[in-house]
Amino acid sequence: MLAFVLTLVLLLGIVIVLAYAERKVAAFMQDRLGPTEAGPYGSLQSVLDVLKLLQKEDIVPAAADKKLFKLAPILIFAAVFAGFAVIPFAPALVPAGIGIGVFYLLAIISLDVVGLLMAGWGSNNKYAMLGAMRSVAQIVSYEIPAGLAILSAVMVCQSLDFQEISYQQGALINQFPGLEYDMNWLFGIRELGINTTTIGGILTWNIFRAPMLLVSFVLYFIASLAESNRAPFDIPEAESELVAGFHVEYSGFRFAVLFLAEYSMMVLVSLVAVVLFLGSWNTPLPNIGPVSLAYWTSGTVGELSGILWGAFWLLSKTFVLLFLQLQIRWTYPRLRVDQLMHLCWKVLTPVALGVVLLAGIWRLLMV
Amino acid sequence: MTESLFYFLASLTLLCALMVVISRNPVHSVLFLIITFFTISGHYILLNAQFLAAVNIIVYAGAIMVLFLFVIMFLNMNKDSESRVKTSTLSKFAGTIAGGLLFVIMVAAVKDTTIAGYNADTFTSQTGMVETLGAVLFTQYLLPFELASVLFLVAMVGAVMLGKKEAGEQHF
Amino acid sequence: MTSIILLSIFGIINLFVGFMKSKRILLPLSLLFLAVVFGANLFSWNEAQSYFNHMLTIDNYAVAFTGIMVLATLLLLPFSQHYIEEANENLAEFYSLLLFSLVGAIMMVSYENMLMLFIGIEILSIAMYVLAGSDKRRLRSNEAALKYFLMGAFFTGVLLFGIVLIYGATGSFYLTDIAATAAVNDGTVNAMFTLGLLLLVIGISFKISAAPFHFWAPDVYEGTPTLFTSYMSTVVKIAGVAAFYKLMAAAFAASYAAWFPTLIAITVLTLVVGNIGAVVQTNFKRMLAYSSVSHAGYLLMALVAFNERSDASILFYSLSYALATIVAFAVLQYVSEQRNGDETYAAFNGLGKTNPLLAFAMTVAMCSLSGIPLTAGFFGKLFVFTAVVQDARLMWLVVVAVLMAAVGIYYYFKVVIAMYMQPAADAAKIRIGSFASFMLIFITVFTILLGIAPALVSDLL
Repeated sequence: MLAFVLTLVLLLGIVIVLAYAERKVAAFMQDRLGPTEAGPYGSLQSVLDVLKLLQKEDIVPAAADKKLFKLAPILIFAAVFAGFAVIPFAPALVPAGIGIGVFYLLAIISLDVVGLLMAGWGSNNKYAMLGAMRSVAQIVSYEIPAGLAILSAVMVCQSLDFQEISYQQGALINQFPGLEYDMNWLFGIRELGINTTTIGGILTWNIFRAPMLLVSFVLYFIASLAESNRAPFDIPEAESELVAGFHVEYSGFRFAVLFLAEYSMMVLVSLVAVVLFLGSWNTPLPNIGPVSLAYWTSGTVGELSGILWGAFWLLSKTFVLLFLQLQIRWTYPRLRVDQLMHLCWKVLTPVALGVVLLAGIWRLLMV
Repeated sequence: MTESLFYFLASLTLLCALMVVISRNPVHSVLFLIITFFTISGHYILLNAQFLAAVNIIVYAGAIMVLFLFVIMFLNMNKDSESRVKTSTLSKFAGTIAGGLLFVIMVAAVKDTTIAGYNADTFTSQTGMVETLGAVLFTQYLLPFELASVLFLVAMVGAVMLGKKEAGEQHF
Repeated sequence: MTSIILLSIFGIINLFVGFMKSKRILLPLSLLFLAVVFGANLFSWNEAQSYFNHMLTIDNYAVAFTGIMVLATLLLLPFSQHYIEEANENLAEFYSLLLFSLVGAIMMVSYENMLMLFIGIEILSIAMYVLAGSDKRRLRSNEAALKYFLMGAFFTGVLLFGIVLIYGATGSFYLTDIAATAAVNDGTVNAMFTLGLLLLVIGISFKISAAPFHFWAPDVYEGTPTLFTSYMSTVVKIAGVAAFYKLMAAAFAASYAAWFPTLIAITVLTLVVGNIGAVVQTNFKRMLAYSSVSHAGYLLMALVAFNERSDASILFYSLSYALATIVAFAVLQYVSEQRNGDETYAAFNGLGKTNPLLAFAMTVAMCSLSGIPLTAGFFGKLFVFTAVVQDARLMWLVVVAVLMAAVGIYYYFKVVIAMYMQPAADAAKIRIGSFASFMLIFITVFTILLGIAPALVSDLL
């Protein structure tokens, strides 16, 4: 229960920061100022936005399917929020450590789609319906390259447990029960003879343990943009065509929940990318001979220092990815629907399949 | 605890499955079906088969049912089209009798069955785990597992073939 | 096992060959593939072996039925020539789907595990659903695909339910384990077992279109493009019956008393419904659909007999039925194409004058289907009937079957009469490729040869 509340509060905090960052980044990229009035540099703007939304009237269209309309935002947010349950925030700190965490995450996120369809259909509005259709078609399609990219990481790590995958990517690898005698080699190639088990740092992140995971990381990142309906894959809510997509009829608190779910999704996919590919809560700094930077910046497992360092590294990496998402939004134009499908089925999926094959060979021959 | 959870899940499953049939609105039917799949996944978890539970959700609730929803929403079934479908009283009677008979036989069959129980020495709680499942799938059931790929290839070739636009094709 | 692997690989090769501009190479290539598979299959003769933890066993039974099914495909492919002439875009897919579906058919005649049976049936069925709807420009074809798919999916569910109940009762998917459990319990383990068995019987009866689960057959056969109807009524049916017999012989021999009453009811109903239904048809293709229902009845008779002659008589009957059916559908295809898609008896008027070869091949095929001596069909029926009369209590079944065969002569000869006794409406000669006419002659000669010397095939098993 404590984990639930803590995660929710943390998430709310991150989303508010993110919403503010989104406006500021957009403003700077377009040579504007962005919000300036509320608080220093407009930093209270998002908080005030939330407060405003909560006060607004809750409108349910008369012709809507009321039950579905009311249920949809809760379902969408619940699906995304349930995904956070398996994300390890620090060594020895994970809300619910289950053995098949990766798989669970894929399963629970696919529930999001049902909620979107409920919202779109329940609104009884053509824009909402079209938006939901587009969004679902896009999410279901991009789940395939995303899933394959995740699969290649899982194949290299030989585990579906996020926490085990996290431990593998740092100098603390031997502290995880079951991994006491595992070793890391540079690029996963034993023949190079460079043992990075105790060096840790960036050299043991998955993208360096098995270099083809760099490709899967890029694939996953692109696919995750599509899964969270972010630009350039934002045709589901293309404001010039569809006004706002599936949430066009929502207002007040329900809109706030949908908004929250959307930003939580961004955070979630970035967290997954960080955990699977970018070393999770591990420090990027390696031990160099006597200068054991990795140990100094990791804290002690199970103690407050470990939790703080872990959460710090995890969140900072996540924010880097989130910033990248914002930057991409204001850099690339929106894809047409045929370009979208072309990219998914003819580019990402074949490449992802190739990477999976490579990961399998790598696992058998190298590590 | 587990037992009461089982009864709760089981009754929820039955209720939702019934609602699938009873619901007038096809979209509600599909949504109830999704809940049914979720509760079945719950049963899998009670049986300590986490992998199956996740697969069940990914495949059914996440993919197949979404396609169902898609199709039903595209069909745009409203009240007018619903009333046009007429079932004769005779076929209703026939359906009820046939279904009722099957139900009676099922009840008789289940009543007649003894539950085998399990051997505490050979029982392993790891049976449903992904490692065990993978090992069985890739050793004992390797051939059907691989031949299922032919099945999927057939389905894929078929789908592409039927989906491709062709000169002179009409929409009926 | 080699044939399964070869067919899977050849199917994929075929798909890639489809990328080439010219589609002309596809037919010879597919025929070559099938010939190779046919040859490779023969190497397993008398060398029974089971593979992959007894998932499947390639014994003489499997080899013989695989041979017949590959041969049937080999013989009906040449009649796909008009697809090549009209440069159909999907030719490679058609051939590949046929090759893949043969994989399923082979699994169905060699399985040792219910799982293999299920996957085999699914591979075969899904390929057929697609092929039934392959003529997207015709409403009938669309209807056929949808009907076949909906019905097929439902009955697959029934079959699967049966398998599950059997698993629940015996704790195994293996035929031998099921037979062992059944044997210690006098053939009826418990009510669940019996229920599962009956659901299995119903599920497979649907796949071989036995009455009362035949209602899909006329519509689907009529709507499906003729080439694939031909495949459906030969290979799919043979695989279904062979799987049925194998299931009963290997797993449920001890439960004979449990399934015998149901099966005999299905058999009699199939014979009567198939033959009487065929009489009232004016459309030749629908007539052939009902006739295929009635032939399922004759095949089921051999299964009802359930003695040492059963498998050999099923084998011979399947072969003779396949040969005749392929010819009938091939000729129908040529005729109806000439007559703008007319598939009634009237389309055949005067064919004896304009195209003596087609008419003669058709006559022999009709004789074989109705069981006239000197054709393979005669011995097919004879073997089945002798298998049944081994049990004197089943004499009445043979009487019913003979009566129904007499009814069959009536409707099979309608088309012969139309060909030779009616004046031609359209005197134009139908053009047939030389290879196709060679195939027609070959099948006709083969049919007559089997009618004179049945021992060529009948003593195999």
